[in-house]
Amino acid sequence: MSTTLSGRIGVALALMAIVFLPMLIGGQWMRIFTSTACFTLAAAAAAFMYARLNMVSLAQVALMGVGGWVMLRLNHGTALPFEINLLLTGVLTAAISVLLALPALRMRGLYLALITLMIAGGLEVIFSTYRFPNGGTGFWGVMPSAAAPFRRPVLAESDGAYLRYVIAVVLIGFLLIDLHRRTRPGRAWAMIRRSEAAALASGVNVTAFKAWAFALSGLLAGLAGGLLAGALGLLDPATFRASESVLLFALSVVGGAQYWFGAVIAAALYRVLPALFNNAGIDPNLTLVIFGAALLHAITTAPDGIAGQIMGVFRGLTAWLRPKGRR
Amino acid sequence: MAAAEGAAMIELNDLTVRFGGVTALDAVSARFKAPVSGIIGPNGAGKTTTMNVISGFLRAQGSISAFGTDIARLAPHRRSQWGLRRSFQREQLADDLSVADNLQVILDALPGTAQEKRADLAQALEVTGLAARAQQLAGGLNTFERRLTDVARCLIGRPRLVMFDEPAGGLTQDETHRLGTLIAQVHGLTGALVLLIDHDVDLIQRLCSETLVLDFGRRIAFGETRAVLADPAVQAAYLGIEEAG
Ligand SMILES: Nc1ncnc2c1ncn2[C@@H]1O[C@H](COP(=O)(O)OP(=O)(O)OP(=O)(O)O)[C@@H](O)[C@H]1O
Ligand SMILES: [Mg+2]
Repeated sequence: MSTTLSGRIGVALALMAIVFLPMLIGGQWMRIFTSTACFTLAAAAAAFMYARLNMVSLAQVALMGVGGWVMLRLNHGTALPFEINLLLTGVLTAAISVLLALPALRMRGLYLALITLMIAGGLEVIFSTYRFPNGGTGFWGVMPSAAAPFRRPVLAESDGAYLRYVIAVVLIGFLLIDLHRRTRPGRAWAMIRRSEAAALASGVNVTAFKAWAFALSGLLAGLAGGLLAGALGLLDPATFRASESVLLFALSVVGGAQYWFGAVIAAALYRVLPALFNNAGIDPNLTLVIFGAALLHAITTAPDGIAGQIMGVFRGLTAWLRPKGRR
Repeated sequence: MAAAEGAAMIELNDLTVRFGGVTALDAVSARFKAPVSGIIGPNGAGKTTTMNVISGFLRAQGSISAFGTDIARLAPHRRSQWGLRRSFQREQLADDLSVADNLQVILDALPGTAQEKRADLAQALEVTGLAARAQQLAGGLNTFERRLTDVARCLIGRPRLVMFDEPAGGLTQDETHRLGTLIAQVHGLTGALVLLIDHDVDLIQRLCSETLVLDFGRRIAFGETRAVLADPAVQAAYLGIEEAG
């Protein structure tokens, strides 16, 4: 199996971030980067659906909320270790993602996007009505005031160690997406993206492979939500509003859905930029204006997003540095 | 292997397809048993519609039997797994997959060991002269190479019925000739029956021993190609396009 240069650079950068990032930052930024890493995974899930299948899923952050809910429920309801809970969270969210997507599997384009948006809206109502488990009794597990503690992984109880842990899981998530891209599902998805007729004529079970895509994106969003629950210990329904799902999808397009670092850019725009604005005394809501302009820019002139532009510069540079090599 | 399950032929019985007011196919019946059979007719005659019905993309009244199997009962992707291959009038390769992966995707859905599949794939690439292009992205191929890839896709995974919808569209005379030579080999290499749609009467005459002629969704002639082309009704239909075009 061949690896691309950008893929190898990505793994190297992730490993460097695992080692060095927690040494370089502290306090508030540790939390911001941890949450950025979680949203990177959710953005990657939205981006792969869009880049590989041309499917617009506007429910990724809402599915993160499902993951967060399951994770908190398992944490407070069982004595299982973090890893088992996280795995169960991923699998359950994947199953829920497929179930919710069932009516949408035969749809395309705008209709699919609208259905996922309605799912996000429905989940928003559930989250704000029942809130997130905090150690209370009963199925919903909510108690009025104080909250029970969250058990982080034994290996990663401090904020710095937990950031490392999250980046490692995000890296695994990216490798999982890449593995899919290179194997049977990736080939089936590419044919589906070309046209459903082409896929069917190739013997691809279109419904099954679309369902598989929803399962993978649900798994990744679930892991992201579970990790976010571990980062914060408590979750707030406002984090998972339908509008957040729409925003994260738009930023995935701005970042560049074709490339792995597009998801990193998307999550950085989503989480780091508002924090920088905040630190500089600017209203973080102003980032929305920038996002709007960036989206317009991406739609009109940069279809592969910021990542695509970076790749363009990178290719230009390598061609310039090796004038005799192949273009 | 195929013959053991039923007579080596494709039977269309009274296929009828309507799109709103347009009758795209009007009770068309034919029995294809030649190694390569042609389907010709003016624009809008219903040729592609016939292939789409056989592929399972369109619902039709009537029945289709292939080697004794009622394939109309199979879901479209199952028909490919059964051994149906086709190319499209506007080719449908996945540009972001390599040439080899555009073939592999068909093998993915079929039984067999990885080793058998590799050999099958290598042979198809060899026969079509694409071996050197195997790892290139399909997006970088020229028109002829794309058409060759279409043919290669139709050679793999033990096909039983292969359908080409205007495979020579956009090709030069020389390329059309080379493509024709390849299509003529399909039956010998795989045992599959071939259905070929094309407007190029020379190509049809060269490859097809039998030909079905459609016009406005009706069968206006079917039989030995030379006889069919000499049929006055067929010539009138073709004069019709010449006047219109
Ligand atoms: N999906 C569709 N919806 C409505 N009408 C259709 C559809 N597909 C085909 N038709 C109509 O059915 C008729 C037959 O079309 P078909 O594509 O089978 O023609 P064809 O013989 O392949 O022509 P060409 O040589 O131009 O490819 C035409 O009148 C066409 O407009
Ligand atoms: Mg046609």
